[in-house]
This record gives sequence, structure tokens and C-alpha cells, in this order.
Amino acid sequence: MRYECGQCGSALAFERVRTAVCPYCASPNFVERPASAPSKDRPDPAWCLAFTGDAEWARARLQRWIGRRMIVADPALGRASVEEIRGVYVPAYLYSAVARTTYSASIGEHYKETETYTKTHEDGSKTTETREVTRTEYRPLAGEHLGYITDVVVSAGAGLDHSTFGALQPFELRQLRRYSPALVSGWVQEEYSREADECLRVSRGDAIDAVGEQLRAFMPGDSHADLSWQTRVEWESLDPVLVPVWVFAVRYRGDRPPMRVAINGQTGAVAGRVPLSWWKIALLALAGAAVVTAIVLLVLHFREPPP
Amino acid sequence: MTTECTRCRGQLEHGDLRCAVCALPVRIEAAGERSARAQVLRCTDCNAAVAFSVKAQAPHCAFCGAIMAIEQLVDPLEVAEVRIPFAVERDAAAHALRGWLGRRGFFAPKSLRDDAVLETLSPLCWAGWVCSAQAHVAWTADSDEGAKRSAWAPHAGQVPMRFEAIVVPATRGLTAAECSQLVPYYDLRHAVPVAGEASEDVVEDVVIESFDAQRSAARAQVQRAIEATAKTRVEPHIPGRKFRNVHVACLLQGQTTQRMAFPAWVLAYRYRGRPYRAIIHGQRGELVFGRAPIDRVKLAIVVASALAAIALVVALVLLGAPRP
Repeated sequence: MRYECGQCGSALAFERVRTAVCPYCASPNFVERPASAPSKDRPDPAWCLAFTGDAEWARARLQRWIGRRMIVADPALGRASVEEIRGVYVPAYLYSAVARTTYSASIGEHYKETETYTKTHEDGSKTTETREVTRTEYRPLAGEHLGYITDVVVSAGAGLDHSTFGALQPFELRQLRRYSPALVSGWVQEEYSREADECLRVSRGDAIDAVGEQLRAFMPGDSHADLSWQTRVEWESLDPVLVPVWVFAVRYRGDRPPMRVAINGQTGAVAGRVPLSWWKIALLALAGAAVVTAIVLLVLHFREPPP
Repeated sequence: MTTECTRCRGQLEHGDLRCAVCALPVRIEAAGERSARAQVLRCTDCNAAVAFSVKAQAPHCAFCGAIMAIEQLVDPLEVAEVRIPFAVERDAAAHALRGWLGRRGFFAPKSLRDDAVLETLSPLCWAGWVCSAQAHVAWTADSDEGAKRSAWAPHAGQVPMRFEAIVVPATRGLTAAECSQLVPYYDLRHAVPVAGEASEDVVEDVVIESFDAQRSAARAQVQRAIEATAKTRVEPHIPGRKFRNVHVACLLQGQTTQRMAFPAWVLAYRYRGRPYRAIIHGQRGELVFGRAPIDRVKLAIVVASALAAIALVVALVLLGAPRP
């Protein structure tokens, strides 16, 4: 997609993004489309969560996150350099709905019972004794659960997969603002690239998972098992929203691709996988095994009857 | 200015981006037709291209340093819209305190009523939300109805409810326990707008307390209070004589919330150098509660007498017991 720079008129390529900095005049450009132009799968964002931490703040979060993992990480990571750092407005959808759920479960209710058992003494004699034991009686329960499912955010960009995006959540939705180009000017705004229907399906899945969480807390009794539920969602809303994410490319070895780390631009939550050092893990496992063995030997030593 | 959410019919206020109850975004109509083009946001002062600054939380011009205003977060600190005027005058409040001090019972010092020194007597309008809503409430609980081997059996149900004028305190000045003692005795029909003149008011220099929450946080607090009320209200629907583990799920509809200020006299008095606090209801002077000193000598005498009586009974029992 090619447009002319709004400042100097030079040609700008917008590859999967809606913002670009002109290489000639360094002006931050954003694509403005007519109101009728947005398609269902490439909507104009309606909402935006602005960055609240700057690049230095994100870099500090990254360093802390790496530092905590150095015990198992590739030692080269300690000398790594940040090759690229980008503040990206990631396209997402904000979903909410009314959820009506029918559920069934086996509810465990504890009760106490006195049982008789045979006790064998050290001299080999046996006596019959009683003790009180707690048992669980399972009773079936079925019913309905009602509520609003709110604050479900799913990624609609190609840059972050669902699990990475999930690790960045939650976003602070109380800071939601109406979208304005002023909020994204000078930043990278990724284009919507996932179909709205697919995002709606993913959102529904997340909403039904959220109902499951609520149901687990809703069950009476001392425990429960075989919880199953059917959720009917009504009054769904799916709104395009931009969420702030810092993306780092960390080069730690010349012969390996850089480690990619994403950081929530509001909360500082980090999503990424550090390259592991197998010899460090092996040493840790050996040390752990040595400690366990030492404890077992000590226990056995002190339990031995005196001669 | 308030409108209504299309999904839950809850009250939407000016500046709300999402419904407080069901989180449905408040959409606005798109602007007029334009062709697709690359655009540059310009500084209103020097016309240079500007970018959004994290520190300023607004577009910031790197050339002239100007910061452009954009739509700001609307999350104001809550303020009372209406208040209930004081019906208890200052002198009546002081008199009510003396009367209350005189009725502190046997353990109160004899001279409490006369020797207590009233230090401050402040007319305070404490902050709270008054909520009304309709709800479908689903519940689960354990009760003794249908119990078999265990003393408990699980039950579930659903019941429609109407919540009318539930008062949710939002004050730092008074404790939750103090508020719950005051709330049942307010006559909300006398509420008047805060901005206007309260012709019924009998007190001057009333302090109207600020709400201890911003709008976004306030709503979660209100929702929790409604759920707590629902939990109490479903109890009669649970079969059996005793129950436990009550859980509720509320689908609220048509919720309205009013920010109200409730009158109370807050008194600080000193007795033999130690400070105490009492609260008097702003509409009903006979409702006084608070902390009062106790006479330690009287308490010691009573405890010693009780111990002596127990010792006497034990001695009599032991003496009266047949010897082997």
C-alpha cells in the first residue's frame, strides 16, 4: 500500500501498519481512511489504550525479567544487546456479552464416620481400635448461572500469537480512550490482519472459559467434580481497540536468531521465552538430587534404633 | 446529563466510554466522508509534525515543546449530587451527647456526664451512593434440606429481585460499622441538590465529604455491595432450616446510582485527658453511639466479686461432698 507523505509528498510504503515515519523529512504519518472505507476485517480502531511507560521503563522491565531467569538461561544472554525496540499499537478486539449458562456438577459434602481398624503393636500383638474419618458424599446439582462477561481482549494482528498476547494480559481497561490519530502519531500501528469472525470465535471461547472460572467459585459444598456447562451468549459486542506493546529483539549470539520479547505498555507484564542453558539445568537437577539424597540419608540415620 | 445503556438499561453519565454495569462501549457516529490518505498531525503553535509523548500522555512537539490537548480520560473523583439537610441543631446535638453520656450504664464513671469536655462538634455530610436496580439472581448453597449421610445437601435456584435505594458508604470519615448504624434511619425523601440552597437545613458550615473513589473504581464497589445485599436476600429462598456456602450471580438491569451526602454530627470529647468519639444522626437526635470510658475500679470490684462467688461455690461443693 503506497501513500504520499503528508509533509513532503514522498512515497511511503505502509506494510501491515497504519503509521510510518517518512525517511526523508522524519514526519510521523498515519493513514486516514474515509468513514465508509473500513471493511469488516480491516476496521478503523474505535478505542485505544495509550502507552504509560516509555522505552527506558520497558528496557528496565526487560533487564529485570532476564535477570530473574539467568539461573537457567544461556549465559550469553548476560552480555546480550537490544537490537531493536519498538513501541507497537497492536490491533485487538474488545468483547463483552451477556452469558446465560446451564451447568451440572457432582457436589462433594464432607461427613465424619467412625471406623474400626486393627492396630499392630511393636511386640506383634494386635488390638481393635476406632478412629474418626472424613468421607465425602457426592450429590448431583444442576442450575443456571447468569452474568455479564466483560473485558475479553483478543489479538487481531499477525505480529503476536494468541498465547503471547494472553501472557501480556490483563490490560488496564479503565484507561480506555476513544481512538484518535493523535494517540498513535509517531508510533507503529499494526494493521488488522485477522478476520473479525475468527476473532469473535476466539473471544467467545475466552468468554466461555471465563464463565468456567466463575462457575468453579459458584459451586457450593466442600468440593466438586464433573462440572460441565453450556453457555449461551447474547448481546455480544466486538469493538476494535489498539493496545500498547513494547517489542524487543535481543541479539545474544551471532549464529542464532534474536530473542523476541513483548512487554505490556501499561502494566509491564512480559511475554517471551529465554534460551535455556542445558548444562545449567543439569547442574541444578544434580544439586537438587544431592540435597534430597542428603535429607533422606539423614532421616534414615536418625530413625535407626539404638544398638 | 444521563442516558441509558442499550444492553442493560443502566445509567450512562456524560463522559462514560463504557457502561459501568455490563461494559458495553458507548459508540459515537463516524465523522464525514474523506478520501484515504497519509496524514500528519501538526503542532498548533509552530505547524511541525508531532508525535504522541508517553510522559505528557498527549501529542508533544519536539520543536517548540507545545503539548496538544486530546480527549482526556474521564474518571473524575465522585462528588455528591444531593444531600439530606440537617434536622438536628448544634445545641440539640450537644444536649443529646450529654444525655447519652449520662446513660452509659453501671460501668461508666459517675462523673462522665458532667466532667466530659466537648472538644469539637462538626456537622459532617458523609458520602455514599444510593443504588436501585433490577436483577436476576442465580444462587447456590448447602442446606440441611434433603441431607443424607452428610449434614448438608447442595441446592440451586434463581430469583428475580428489585433493589431499591441501597446505600453504599464511600466515606473515610466514618467506619463501615458506624455507617450501618446510621443508614436505616435516614429519610431519603428529604434529599436536596447540593448546588441549591437547603431551605430545611438548620445548621451552617456543613462539611460535605468528598467521595473516597474515582468513578471507575466506585462502580466496582457499588456492584460488590449489591451482590452482598443479594446474598442476604436469597436466604429465605434456600430450603431447610440452616444453610452455608451461599453464592450469588447477579444479572443487573436498569441500575441507577445517585451520589448522596448523609448528615451526621461527629463529636470529639475528652474525659480525664483521653479522647473519645461519638456520632449523632443528622436527622434523628436520639440516635447517638460511640465510645465511652469505663470505670476500672468498678470493673475490678465486679470481677473480684465474681471470682470470690465462684470460689465460694467451689468451696461449698467441695466441703459438702461426702468423704471417702
